[in-house]
Amino acid sequence: MSRALARSAASSGRLPATTAVRAVSTTPALRESSSTYESPFKGQPKNKVPDFSKYMAKRPPSSNALFSYFMVGTLGAISAAGAKSTIQEFLVNMSASADVLAMAKVEVDLNAIPEGKNVIIKWRGKPVFIRHRTPAEIEEANSVNVASLRDPQADADRVKKPEWLVMLGVCTHLGCVPIGEAGDFGGWFCPCHGSHYDISGRIRKGPAPLNLEVPTYDFTDDGKLVVG
Amino acid sequence: MASALYNALFRRNVTMLGVVFASAFAFELGFNNLMNKIWDNHNRGRQWKDIRHKYIQDGDDE
Repeated sequence: MSRALARSAASSGRLPATTAVRAVSTTPALRESSSTYESPFKGQPKNKVPDFSKYMAKRPPSSNALFSYFMVGTLGAISAAGAKSTIQEFLVNMSASADVLAMAKVEVDLNAIPEGKNVIIKWRGKPVFIRHRTPAEIEEANSVNVASLRDPQADADRVKKPEWLVMLGVCTHLGCVPIGEAGDFGGWFCPCHGSHYDISGRIRKGPAPLNLEVPTYDFTDDGKLVVG
Repeated sequence: MASALYNALFRRNVTMLGVVFASAFAFELGFNNLMNKIWDNHNRGRQWKDIRHKYIQDGDDE
């Protein structure tokens, strides 16, 4: 800026006829008008590069580079560990805690349930019906025309072993607990609004829209049932 | 010595990244171990693993 001002002042002194705009501008035309370029900084000493040798490292450059990159790498490593730990803790925080996991599974000894009997157990705060069905009941469940049902589902899709029927004891209408061995179809009957379920837990009559829900369960080798 | 280390670890970007991640892994292991030791030492005798033997005889699991 100061150089441009100085140049414009010098040129305007030499060429008074030029306009103010011309004087301020630094176009090549203006530079051509003055035949030789003169530095405005006259009488000042040339720049001298100071002697930095006092500040130079005594060690060889490679060890300097090694130290710098070591510090950079250390910072990177610590940041990476911190970032990984942060994300991991967030994710671990979301997973189920030990008490929830302990409640998630229920084990039942099936040998204690005689044929033709219902057992109600509590699983995750909800009742679960387990029925040891007789061959006649299995026959009855399979003889139903699936297409005629409100929620068409074959009996084979609802059980893993035909003699064991396992399902959630929550009426699909409004969540009451149906009564076992009752109703028009020999299965379950919900006293709240009169839904009738058959021996496979399928809705046959009443307001409920769906069959009784089947939880995930498995049979162990030693005659036990694990729900969950 | 220094230049050999520099050439081995930091000369190429890829190797530097690998070294950084590997050292991050090692650092995390050591740091977690150290912090767990400090914590256990601070709470000595108050944690379940310290008093478990008083309540549970080994042999039958749980």
